[in-house]
Amino acid sequence: MERQEILVGLKEILQLIKPSLDLSAVNENSQLISDIGLDSLTILLLSLAIENKFNIKFEGAVKFNTVGEVIDYIIKAKA
Amino acid sequence: MKNYFEDMMPAEELAQVKYIPTIPEFVTWIESKWRELPALSDTVNTLTYKQMCDAIARKRAMLNAMGLAKGDKVAILDNTTVEAVEMFLAVTSAGYVVINLPSQLPAPAVAGCCMKFGVKVLAAGAGFMETAKAASCKVIDIADMAEQKAPVAIVDKNDPAAIFFTGGTTGAPKGAVLPHRALMRGALNGVYAPGHQLGCQRYASVLPLSHVFGLVRGTLSVLYEGGAWYAAANTKETISKLPMIKPTCLVAVPGICEILLGLVKMYGKPFLGGNLRFIIAGAANVPPKLIGEFDQLGISLFAGYGMTEGANLTSGNIDVKEKPTSVGKIYPGQETKVVDGELWFRGDNVFLGYYGDPEKTAETLTPDGWIKTGDLVRFDEEGYMYIIGRIKNLIILSNGENVSPESIEEPFYKCDKLRDCLVKEDEMDGKKVIAIEILPRIEEFGNTPWEEVEAYFKKLVDEVNATLPTTHRINKITVRKEDFKRTGAMKVSRN
Repeated sequence: MERQEILVGLKEILQLIKPSLDLSAVNENSQLISDIGLDSLTILLLSLAIENKFNIKFEGAVKFNTVGEVIDYIIKAKA
Repeated sequence: MKNYFEDMMPAEELAQVKYIPTIPEFVTWIESKWRELPALSDTVNTLTYKQMCDAIARKRAMLNAMGLAKGDKVAILDNTTVEAVEMFLAVTSAGYVVINLPSQLPAPAVAGCCMKFGVKVLAAGAGFMETAKAASCKVIDIADMAEQKAPVAIVDKNDPAAIFFTGGTTGAPKGAVLPHRALMRGALNGVYAPGHQLGCQRYASVLPLSHVFGLVRGTLSVLYEGGAWYAAANTKETISKLPMIKPTCLVAVPGICEILLGLVKMYGKPFLGGNLRFIIAGAANVPPKLIGEFDQLGISLFAGYGMTEGANLTSGNIDVKEKPTSVGKIYPGQETKVVDGELWFRGDNVFLGYYGDPEKTAETLTPDGWIKTGDLVRFDEEGYMYIIGRIKNLIILSNGENVSPESIEEPFYKCDKLRDCLVKEDEMDGKKVIAIEILPRIEEFGNTPWEEVEAYFKKLVDEVNATLPTTHRINKITVRKEDFKRTGAMKVSRN
C-alpha cells in the first residue's frame, strides 16, 4: 500500500473518531495528541479501528507520536 | 420480599447460590457444582471448571513445594490472563496471601512493592519476566505447575487473602488487606442480576485483575455463577475479539463503554457479538447519556458504587432509567448508616486494614468494624442512594462553609456535550475562588470554532451559577483541549 493511500484510510477513521477534526490540516507530521487531540481512550479506539481497516495487529507495547509513525508501522506490518 | 437484589433472580436460581466464606471452600464448590461447564478461555483454548480446578491444585502443589508458610505473600505480575486467574485462586486456596501488581508498573516499582510487602514469590506472565527480574524475591513463570495436585488449605474466613492497591482519586496508594469473607461476599453480591440464569453467561474480561472491580465482580462473581470468562492477551485484543466471544455480559469502566460505543458507530452493533444483554459499569461516574445510548442498542447498563476496602460492591442500581443519577440500593450482608452526611457501612465485606499502616487504618475503620467511606451521600424515600461528594475534596470557603466540588459538578454531567469536568479551589487576583475545568465531548461540536465551544460552556456555567448560592458560584472557567490526568480506573484525578 502507498503511504498516501494509508493516510487517506487513517483520515477516514479519524473523521469517525473526531468528527470536528479539520482533516485538511492532518498530515504525516501531525502529532496524535497535541495536534489531533487524541487521549488514552481515543488512541485505544484508533488502534482497534486501524487493525480492522488495514488487517494488521499491533504487537506488544507500541508507541506513536505522529501520523507518519503510524503509517511506517502499517507498511512494515503489511510487508 | 427478600430484598432488592435477591428478588432479581428466579427463586430456583437464587436457591443454588449460598454465601461461601472462604476461597478454598469456594474452589471446592465450583469444581463440583459447575464441573463440565466452560470456565476460563484465552479465546483459543477453553478450560472446563474441572480442568481449571486441576490446574489450580497443581499450582498449589508447586507453591507448597517452595516451603511457603500460611500467610506468606505471593505477588502476580501479568495481564488479565487465564494463568493469572488460576494463580490467584491457587495462592489463596493454599492459604497464602496474593498481591496482584498493576501490569504497567515499571521494574523499580515492582521491586519496591515486593520489598514493602515482604513478597516471598513473584509469579510473572510471559511478557513480564524481564520486569520481574528486578525483584529480590524468587521469580517463577506464572504458567508453572507441579505434576501432582495438592488439596486446598483450611483457612479461617477472617484470614487475609489478598492485598489490593488503593488510592482512588486522592492520596498516596495504600495496600488494603482483604480477608476471605470480604472477597467472597463481594463475589456473591455480584451474582445478583435481573432474570439472571446461572451457568450460561459469557463474560469478556476487559479490566485489570489488580483492580478489585476486575477481580471480584469481573472474575470471582463470574465463577460463582458458573459463567464462562474470556480474555485475550490484553484489553485491546479482548475488545477486538468481541464478535467471536459473543459475550452476554461485560464488567467495565465508563471509559471502556465509550470505546464500545465508538466501535458500534464504526462497525455496527454486530461488533459487540450480538448477545450482549447488560454491562456492569463502575469505578467511576457513569454519565446518564451513556446509559441512554446503550439502552438504544437494547443493552442495559447498570451503575454501582463500591470501594476497595469493601471488596468492591456496596450498592448497585438496575433502575437506571428511572433513577439515572443514583448508585442504587445497598447490597446484602451490610449494615449502613449516615454520620454527618458520610456513609458508613460494616459487614462481611469489610477489609482488615491498610498493610503496615495502623494510623490510616484507624482513620477509615472503627474498632467496631464500620468503614468510614469518606463519601457524602443521601438516600431518597425509596432507599436509592446518591453520592454527593468526597469529604476529602471539600472546599472550605472564605466564610468557613464547606462545599463539595462533586455537588457543583453534578448538574454539568446532564449536559450531553461535556465529557468530564473538575471543580476545585483556585486563586484569582489573590483571592480564593471556585474554578471549573471542562473537557468537551468534542465530537458533538462538528466544525464549530473553538471560541464558540468555549462560549457554549461559559453560558452553561452562567446557567448553573444562577441555581447556586452566591458563595458556591464558579468564578473561573477553563475549557480543556487535552484530557485530564486520570487514575488507573480512568477516573479524573483530583491530585
